[in-house]
Amino acid sequence: MTFMGFVFSAIALAAALGVVFNRNPLYSAFSLIVQLLAMAGLYSVLGAHFLAVTQVVVYAGAIMVLVLFVLMLLNLKSESGRKLGIVKPLVALGVGFSVVATVFPAVVAQFKDISLMTLQENLWKSEGGVKAIGQEIYGRYIVQFELSSLVLLIGIVGAIMLSKRKRIVIGPREGGLGGKQ
Amino acid sequence: MLELGILLIKVIFVLNLALGLASFCTWLERKGSALIQDRVGANRAGAFVESDRWYLKPALPFVRALGWLGVINTLLCDSLKGLWKEDFVPEGASKFLHALAPVIAVLPIMLAFAVLPLAPDFTVAGHTVHPQVAPIDAGILFVLAMGSVAVYGVAIAGWTGNNKFSLLGALRAAAQMISYELPMGLVFVALIVVYGTLDVYTMVEEQQKLLWGFIPAWGIVMQPVGFVVLLLAGMAETKRGPFDLPEAESELVAGYFTEYSGMKFLLFWLGEFAEIALFAVLLALLFFGGWDIPFVELPKGVWWASLIGHAVLMAKVVFFCVLQIVIRWTLPRFRYDQLMNLGWKLLLPISLVNLAITAILKVVL
Repeated sequence: MTFMGFVFSAIALAAALGVVFNRNPLYSAFSLIVQLLAMAGLYSVLGAHFLAVTQVVVYAGAIMVLVLFVLMLLNLKSESGRKLGIVKPLVALGVGFSVVATVFPAVVAQFKDISLMTLQENLWKSEGGVKAIGQEIYGRYIVQFELSSLVLLIGIVGAIMLSKRKRIVIGPREGGLGGKQ
Repeated sequence: MLELGILLIKVIFVLNLALGLASFCTWLERKGSALIQDRVGANRAGAFVESDRWYLKPALPFVRALGWLGVINTLLCDSLKGLWKEDFVPEGASKFLHALAPVIAVLPIMLAFAVLPLAPDFTVAGHTVHPQVAPIDAGILFVLAMGSVAVYGVAIAGWTGNNKFSLLGALRAAAQMISYELPMGLVFVALIVVYGTLDVYTMVEEQQKLLWGFIPAWGIVMQPVGFVVLLLAGMAETKRGPFDLPEAESELVAGYFTEYSGMKFLLFWLGEFAEIALFAVLLALLFFGGWDIPFVELPKGVWWASLIGHAVLMAKVVFFCVLQIVIRWTLPRFRYDQLMNLGWKLLLPISLVNLAITAILKVVL
């Protein structure tokens, strides 16, 4: 189990580096897919099967397909010729470092008292985390959960409005083929 | 060590079953389409085989029968032909991704078979065998996850094709598979609500019961709307039948695998037929009681009862394979807007209402 954990971690790290260092956006997207799948592997090593499967269905299976979709439609070229300058990498480095510096201590503090083994055992016992996740989401965090679904709803409505407005501006053609489209 | 051996046998059995069902579907497609179109179909290769060797003599009538039925032609000759053909990679395409795409198209489908139970439990020499390779808790969701990973095979294939037809086919396939995954997932959720579990084995066990003492509690009785939605969504997921827009021959040459030849081309077909088989197994397990024979109580834990159960399940699976192939060769192709309308405006609302009603009934009853 621990060995597989290391294997998946290595794959995830390598793929994450691939996302950043690939000059072709499509290869970056493929690396990101591999990274997400490796994370799913890590979850299932921990016994959180439900989380792993959700990760694959939602991130690897739906969101990344849309990202690929857009990249393929735009037909972006490789960016190997572009100069990056000095400011952009520094800004990116600063932002990345500050995010890690904020999140990492919080994660460490959260899991300070729980060893990985007990976490694993608890997850294996609670049906791959389905029951635990369900009870937490629909019990303790019900308000936050419903609020986040509200945010998603607003996003959906916004997307529909944006795509509708364009159509009204162009307007349906009078008569002829596709008049009703 | 014993555990590992049993697991290995299970893996080999399930893998062979998946490949066998896929081959069966290939043959059925060839011969069935011939029947439906009033042709004869493959019936030559091996039908007139002769030999003077005494040890081959007893096998000859059998081989001739297979040849006459077209099995040798469709399964042996065509795959050998695929292996010997030139493997063509289009200019400017990444060789690695070009080779990777057919693998991604097949592998997830094969993996999805791992969570499906294929017979009731049985005990041999004091050892209980659970005929399911990976009884993980996420159960049925794993099938959904593997289905969504299979999209990448198609997407990468279309992109490495490096031409407009392939790319259009891939985009169509990706849009179609994402659209129809939603109703499919919602039907799975409704089933999870009905049976109160994610594990497919427990779902099948629940279906052995009788409703009010005389109706078998099969999924089709509990979720009739869900069955229709899943049948339509599943056929769209396999990219066949009236939903074969991604490879529409009359518009896109061959769609996303236009630039594939030889065995890589056949691998896409293998993935497609394995998906038909997977889907047939899924329908039989979730909606038609799996290994259940209505009103017949088989003893639990005996090996011959498991064998009968497996045979019953396979009979149902073959029925659904035949059904899908008959539909594919009977109905004309949808237009693309019709396809999207069916997915988003019909199946999605129906499956949402179905889920709501199921949840209400579950609480009330």
